[in-house]
Amino acid sequence: MTQRISKYQRFKMMNPIIQFFKYIYLSIKIMLIVAGGHGSTRKVN
Amino acid sequence: MAKIVVLGAGISGHAAASHLRRKLPKEHEVVVVSPNSNYQWIPSNIWVGIGRMKSEKILFPLAPLYKKKHIGYKQAKAVSFYPEGDQKEQKPYVLAEYVFGEQKGQQEKITYDYLINATGPKLNFEATEGLIPGKNKAYSVCTYTHADHAWEGLKKLIEQMKQGKKAKILIGTGHAKSTCQGAAFEYILNVEEELRKHKVRDMAEVTWISNEYQLGDFGMDGMLLSYGSMTMKSHEMIEMIFEDRDIKWILGAGVNKIEDGVAHYENLEGEQKSEIYDFAMLIPSFSGHGFKAFDKNENDITEKLFKGFMIVDANYTPKPYEEWSVQDWPETYQNPTYKNIFAPGIAFAPPHSISKPRKSKNGTEIFPAPPRTGMPSGITAKIVADNIIDTIKNGKESLTHKGSMGNMGAACIASAGFGMTTGSGVSITTYPIVPDYEKYPKTQGRQLSKTFGEIGLAGHWLKLSLHYAFIYKAKMRPFWWLIPE
Repeated sequence: MTQRISKYQRFKMMNPIIQFFKYIYLSIKIMLIVAGGHGSTRKVN
Repeated sequence: MAKIVVLGAGISGHAAASHLRRKLPKEHEVVVVSPNSNYQWIPSNIWVGIGRMKSEKILFPLAPLYKKKHIGYKQAKAVSFYPEGDQKEQKPYVLAEYVFGEQKGQQEKITYDYLINATGPKLNFEATEGLIPGKNKAYSVCTYTHADHAWEGLKKLIEQMKQGKKAKILIGTGHAKSTCQGAAFEYILNVEEELRKHKVRDMAEVTWISNEYQLGDFGMDGMLLSYGSMTMKSHEMIEMIFEDRDIKWILGAGVNKIEDGVAHYENLEGEQKSEIYDFAMLIPSFSGHGFKAFDKNENDITEKLFKGFMIVDANYTPKPYEEWSVQDWPETYQNPTYKNIFAPGIAFAPPHSISKPRKSKNGTEIFPAPPRTGMPSGITAKIVADNIIDTIKNGKESLTHKGSMGNMGAACIASAGFGMTTGSGVSITTYPIVPDYEKYPKTQGRQLSKTFGEIGLAGHWLKLSLHYAFIYKAKMRPFWWLIPE
């Protein structure tokens, strides 16, 4: 096993307070990306 | 008055039927034809497969909901397509066979003005010899019943491990052209976490086996993504997670045969290899359902409708990988020959894979087929529904709603362990799904500000929130349409 994620990183990943704010941030960001629209890729002559 | 028939009641078919019913006046008929009696929220099958969620929590019966919402429902499977009708029936129709109740076994011509084919994929277990869910110690999490069986198998193994048995666990793809690596990725992380919770992690060797060339390909050719303040490639991120959790990996593997506790595969070097296991979860390849189509004189016109999956407005011209373009991907999901037939979700034939195609030295194609997860399935279903609604309301064809997977974002919230305070998730978004190398030439075809990865507890909460939100939406509870696809 190779420890690739440091203890400090893991603390941040699992800390409920930090993660609560991350949850709000991610929810908004994902909503903007996914619901932010979609469309064509083809040029209309 | 128009009649819209929707084949399938999965994420795509159900989304299309819901939007059609909400926006069309009651004089228009919406009919869903599906062999399944339940709606299931497939992304949560992962938790059923580790015993953290009961399958009843991810499904609900369709018949009462459709009755309440004035959506017609026939529990039947489509058999063949007659887009011109026949000598006796003037209107186009689908021949369907009932699978339940008094009418079981009876066939019916279901006529339509518009047809939405949202039949999804056939789980093609037969393509891999010996890959049968629940047999040969190999399982699947593709349906809730499969996931239930997977948990039974895993639970038994965990009990044996508690008695001192050392075990090998193999999770990944069960065919050289499988897709849905994301589901297998979620499952391997959840299984690994469960082993820790049951205090038997040190008794198990956990291995990822996949047809991907690199980790983190996910059938999307991998991606360059933002991770915190860094920019990294998806394979670097997944490598970090796997190494940290002591998960081994085998890549470029085309699994071709399963025997009791043995997976045989060919790798890109052309070598035939085997991997033994005590528990495996392997995703099968997906295929079309093998539907036939006939014209009004009963001549076979299957090639006008199907190319494995249904033919839509994509560019299917065969060309080398270097010439593939994002413009090849469909935008309206309309069949070019029969303009009143549409195929959103997984039912449409993709123009080509997204990942770079690779062959072994023996000529066997080993690379992921293109994934089409719940999010694009829902979005494309809504696009199709909106175009049909506009066409009916305007009295002439209207295709103003467009959504190419090359101009659409998707989020993959991969659970990495269940628990309100101990759970974890890997949240990855990508925009666009199909890389656009012309628009984003320096960032591997993706917009970096919208393509990012995050690991942590928030990911688990997000996936749990999505579970409840999408089941609420599927149940068509008040203001369900405010929740985006």
